Amino acid sequence: MRFNEKELVFLSRQPSERAAELGMRGPKKGDVVKRRLVKLIVNFLFYFRTDEDEPIGALLLEQCRVEREDDHVFSIAFLDEAERKYLFECGSQEQCVEWIDAVVKASYEFMRKNLIYYRTEIHRLTGKDPLEQYGISDETRFRVNSGLPPPPT
Amino acid sequence: MKLNERSVAHYATCNSPPDKTGFLFKKGERNTAYHRRWFILKGNMLFYFEEKESREPVGVIVLEGCTVELCESESEEFAFAIKFDCVKAKVYKMAAENQAAMESWVKALSRASFDYMRLVVKELERQLEEVQEEARSSQAKSMLKKHQLQLQGATFSLQNATITGPSQEGVSSRENGVSWSKPPSVPNGVRDTQGDCSERGDGVRPPPVPPRRKTNGGSLESPVSPGTGCFSKLHDWYGKEVAELRIEWLQSQIHW
Repeated sequence: MRFNEKELVFLSRQPSERAAELGMRGPKKGDVVKRRLVKLIVNFLFYFRTDEDEPIGALLLEQCRVEREDDHVFSIAFLDEAERKYLFECGSQEQCVEWIDAVVKASYEFMRKNLIYYRTEIHRLTGKDPLEQYGISDETRFRVNSGLPPPPT
Repeated sequence: MKLNERSVAHYATCNSPPDKTGFLFKKGERNTAYHRRWFILKGNMLFYFEEKESREPVGVIVLEGCTVELCESESEEFAFAIKFDCVKAKVYKMAAENQAAMESWVKALSRASFDYMRLVVKELERQLEEVQEEARSSQAKSMLKKHQLQLQGATFSLQNATITGPSQEGVSSRENGVSWSKPPSVPNGVRDTQGDCSERGDGVRPPPVPPRRKTNGGSLESPVSPGTGCFSKLHDWYGKEVAELRIEWLQSQIHW
């Protein structure tokens, strides 16, 4: 699948929500833990060799599950291959908890859910749609009941 | 650079609803002809498929750090482009099938970034806090007003009771027992009160405390003597305030 790699690399250089050196282990059997600089930017997790500017890779954080594996270890698994887990070893429990929180909140879909909640609540309390003044109340992405049927497979 | 491609592709076709779908022409990256592709926009990811029925996307465009512009194209009408900020960045040239589709896609794509969504969420979060805060404070205010109204009601009806027939004391021209001229000085310090009365006009928010309340010990005795010429003004003023407070109180009753 093609993707705009150069633009993604450029994105990886932008200010991050959170960045730290963590122990990272890939999902494949035989993968070992390696020190990586891990950077959370929008809904991507970039990982770099600690002394390099260009990321080795990126994980799109949509449709994933984040789990506490241990005191200071968390995992990210993607729903289409739930057994394959990326493991991240943190320096402390606190850091682990903070990272889990950050990763969970990093998805676009998570933000969308929040938006729908706020929009509904404001409408309930005031009788007004807060998005109307911005002229975006009809946008699909902000739709409260965006329960479109799944596309036929 | 590696990407969790399989999972990214899965995001395209999984059952979360897409933000926009449709056919667009996309200028090839090597072959510069325009190819018709099926596009699925989800969040900040624009996927394109060879056919509508294709299972796997041909590619994806991550829509961060880009702008969407209309552009002039020699071969295509309804053309627009997705341009990125970075050095030697790609320009994705696209064309829609008609004006409406082009406008719709340009709008949807320019609002697709994570940052834009985050901005809107933050704004709504702030608005909700404001609304909740207003609800809390107006509930407190209306409870206070209600209390004031009850107090007012009690003293007003007392006022009414004391002034019955037309009073004849010391004032010129009367009509129906009401005098509009300024009263002579009256012993119990009413002048100050009346002075206050004439100063307190309409639209003073919150309503000024009527003179009675200033009496100590909650005495119900009215400081305004029955014969006061200014009474009619006082009467009207109290009446207005009471009417306003009553409306506010009734409104607050509806809400809670």
